[in-house]
Amino acid sequence: MPLLSTLRSMLSAPFKSDELEHELDEELQSYLDLLIEEKTRAGMDPAQARSQALIELGGAEQVKATVRETRHGAALDMLVHDIRFTLRMLRRSPGFAAVFVITLAIGIGANTALFSTIKALLLSQLPYQEPDRLVASVKTYEGRNAGPISRLDFFDYRRLCKSFEGFCTLSSTTRMTLTGGERAEAVGVVFATWDLFPTLGVPPVLGRKFSESEEDLAGANVAVIGHDLWQRRFGGSDRAIGASLHLNGTPYEVIGVMPAGFRFLFDTDLWVVIDRDCPIDEQRDSHSLWAVGRLKDGVSLEQAQSDVDAVAVILEAEYPETNKAKGLRLYPLRDYMVAHVRASLNLLIATTGLLLLIACINVAGLQLARGQRRVAEMAMRSALGASRRRLIRQLLTESVILTVLAGLVGIVVAYLFHNLLLRLLPMGDPGVPVPTIDGAVLLFALAISVVTGLVVGIVPALRGTSLNVWQKLESSNRTSESKSGTRLRSLLVVVQVAMSVGLLIGCGLLIRSMVNLASVNIGFETENVIGGTYAIQTDDQSTTPERVEVFASLIAEIKAQPGVTDAAAITKLPIASRGTDWPIWHAAEPRPEPRDSIMGLTRAVTPGYFSTIGIPLLRGRDFTATDAEGTAPVVIISEALVRDLFPDQSPLGQMVKLGWFDFAFEVVGVVGNARINGVRSDFDQAIYLSSGQFGPPFQWLVVRTEGDPDLMADQIRKLVEEKDRTAILGELVTLKALVDEDLTGFRVVMLALGLLSLVAMLLTAVGLYGVLAYHVSERTNEFGIRTALGAAPIDLTGLIMKKGLLMVGVGLAVGFVGASLSSRLIRQLLFEIEPLDPLAYAGGALFFGAVAVIACLMPAWRAARVNTVAALRSE
Amino acid sequence: MAENTTQILRGTLDMLILKTISLAPMHGLGISRRIEQITDGVFQVKPGSLFPALHRMEQEAWISGDWGESENNRRAKYYELTAAGRARLGEEKQGWSHLVLTIGKVLEAS
Repeated sequence: MPLLSTLRSMLSAPFKSDELEHELDEELQSYLDLLIEEKTRAGMDPAQARSQALIELGGAEQVKATVRETRHGAALDMLVHDIRFTLRMLRRSPGFAAVFVITLAIGIGANTALFSTIKALLLSQLPYQEPDRLVASVKTYEGRNAGPISRLDFFDYRRLCKSFEGFCTLSSTTRMTLTGGERAEAVGVVFATWDLFPTLGVPPVLGRKFSESEEDLAGANVAVIGHDLWQRRFGGSDRAIGASLHLNGTPYEVIGVMPAGFRFLFDTDLWVVIDRDCPIDEQRDSHSLWAVGRLKDGVSLEQAQSDVDAVAVILEAEYPETNKAKGLRLYPLRDYMVAHVRASLNLLIATTGLLLLIACINVAGLQLARGQRRVAEMAMRSALGASRRRLIRQLLTESVILTVLAGLVGIVVAYLFHNLLLRLLPMGDPGVPVPTIDGAVLLFALAISVVTGLVVGIVPALRGTSLNVWQKLESSNRTSESKSGTRLRSLLVVVQVAMSVGLLIGCGLLIRSMVNLASVNIGFETENVIGGTYAIQTDDQSTTPERVEVFASLIAEIKAQPGVTDAAAITKLPIASRGTDWPIWHAAEPRPEPRDSIMGLTRAVTPGYFSTIGIPLLRGRDFTATDAEGTAPVVIISEALVRDLFPDQSPLGQMVKLGWFDFAFEVVGVVGNARINGVRSDFDQAIYLSSGQFGPPFQWLVVRTEGDPDLMADQIRKLVEEKDRTAILGELVTLKALVDEDLTGFRVVMLALGLLSLVAMLLTAVGLYGVLAYHVSERTNEFGIRTALGAAPIDLTGLIMKKGLLMVGVGLAVGFVGASLSSRLIRQLLFEIEPLDPLAYAGGALFFGAVAVIACLMPAWRAARVNTVAALRSE
Repeated sequence: MAENTTQILRGTLDMLILKTISLAPMHGLGISRRIEQITDGVFQVKPGSLFPALHRMEQEAWISGDWGESENNRRAKYYELTAAGRARLGEEKQGWSHLVLTIGKVLEAS
């Protein structure tokens, strides 16, 4: 490392200079003494000998100055000299410098941008106390992951497991209506056991955390609020503590405020303690909570897992009906929080890594070619006394200066890449730091620049100075081709081709998946439909018929608006709101065991919902206003459920039981399947209940319009807010936007990979072109002779094409093998497509092949146009 | 000083010094005298070029200097060849013979 050693000697020079100076004095004195002695012995008298010796020494101070110069100044001089030399050289070949800098800037930029994401998701500390000891968990059935855990199971795990210092559970975010202040608002609420905050090791900034006794208290109704809600609702005042918040009509006492920026797993406005009265998971086979634990000091994840497994066995013996084959699997918290982005991230890491490699190979190839042209220069400098080390140092300084320049440009590339694409990547769960381009990221850019500079510089530097310089000097007027140099470059191009083709194949697979996703029949219409949450005050409208009436009259008024064709309500809008899968079975049969249950996504809807959103009614009837409280319970199921439940009989009129209701429902209708859990999810078993029979206080309003639904949003909002000032209408979103957003993460990964592989392909084409063009210029003489002897231009073109296409062919073959071996990386991201999809392979190969042929044709064409006379004269 | 001395070709002084101390460690004056003696006084190495060369090569780690006693019990800094120096000497010798050969060819060619 020339820069480092130079720096070191520059730094150490002032400290060592006294000692060196002293030693030099002594050395010169001893030289003088020896000289005098020599002369005295030769017969001179001492005085004469002395003066003669002094003359011969030629001035001690002058000698010392020269030594000092060579010694101290050398390192610094060398560096300054090298830098000036490099700059002079770059001014002479700006094209080389530009290609070098831009090529590497792309590679360094992409890697720097991705590093910001890696740093946030994988390297940074999670913002909790000793986060490495935190574990998250997922329920399993027969060893397969199966979502959240039941509250009753959780309490048993907490009581019986010995591995945890703290073991707590929390619900996902529930929307609730907050009243009691100036204005009502919809807030997110997470239910948690008392030990959530102690387990995470984050105390409130104001007030206190939950106490253990509050969990045993029926109706403790205490809440810890987030920093945002504290500012919004209480202006950040101390008076918040002890204040009362009405959530869905029930008063909660505020006991604490969490610090700004505190987030954990689910975004929420406040946390409410799970007390004895809490309605969540009253049955052991109802699962809606997520358990998180802090391992005791020194307890490993494996030890904790076997501890948990043992408790699962106890529970299975005690509750065979609900806990058969049920277990709990622990994960390190960070792995759990970034699990759903891991596949995309791994793919992008591999891609940017390959891109940098391809860029490095291009630049190294460029340097090798240049090195062969600089043979004469190196030989000359070597003859003039430059050591090999000195020459290598000079060449490395050159490439490091260039790569550091590339690093600076790369930072701009990184910034663009990060802001355009990576910011849109799906990130980890709330609580995982957000990626930013900060000092550490910039340092990373600088570090990879220097390392890259050394890597791409070292081989050309060693080669450029290795062959016996004198031999080179002998033949300096013929930039003689080194056979092994060309072979090395060809090999590098083959590697590049293989990597680019691999990337293109990956890209092809993602494009095919995207096409599949775009053509998925989502089962409902996205055009001209808009929806928003609507929450009414339960304390004002306490009975089911009253609540039903509020929604019914509002829907009727919306429908009467000009431009509105239909309106209805549903408890969970497709895609926007997911989950709530309940078991469903024949009413005549006993309730099936959980692992054998047929599950359906359960929603309550108002009459007219299906026609509003465009889900076809296939058999039977829609709900009507007469399906109200007190009438026989009815249900409409999706086609997929009919297939599962009634494969060979008519579903209409059948009685089913579902969820935790102890009464049966009559199937009155069948509707089409719909992707209500997200475009990628094929969970299309759906159970629709009549909201007239339950009167949910919180539903999504769904409105179908004649024109652009966005233009109707204000009109709808005005109407709804005038009707009831205490109710809350959430943000209105179109279904089209929801579907788009659902695919954004995937699209970003596809775009990022597409962009990177395109750049990789271009770089490879440039590399291919470079090697062939160099090859052609090397053989100009030979081609001249061939033409003179009667070779047709087409023969020469063929000669070069053959060489180029051979490299491409070998590269393609290696690329295919590489791509198929690394299909594990991409499998998880694919949608309804095999990782070895022949179309993607063929497409990648063809696309690359076409570009490669162009890259080969240009130099080949030039070979055919070699001017015989000029070529021979240049000899 | 003497008129019949030849300017030492730049780059060859290193080779001469390395060769001189390759047999036994020597101090500055010793090196200087030895080169003079072998070349029958054609090459005279003056302190002004000897010491910078010694120090430069010491920094390159081709030679290492150590204080010792001269034959007349005077303190003097003795230089000896390192492994890297020995390799360097080999390179220089080879390079030199090639250069001589090549230049010879050039001179004979015309």
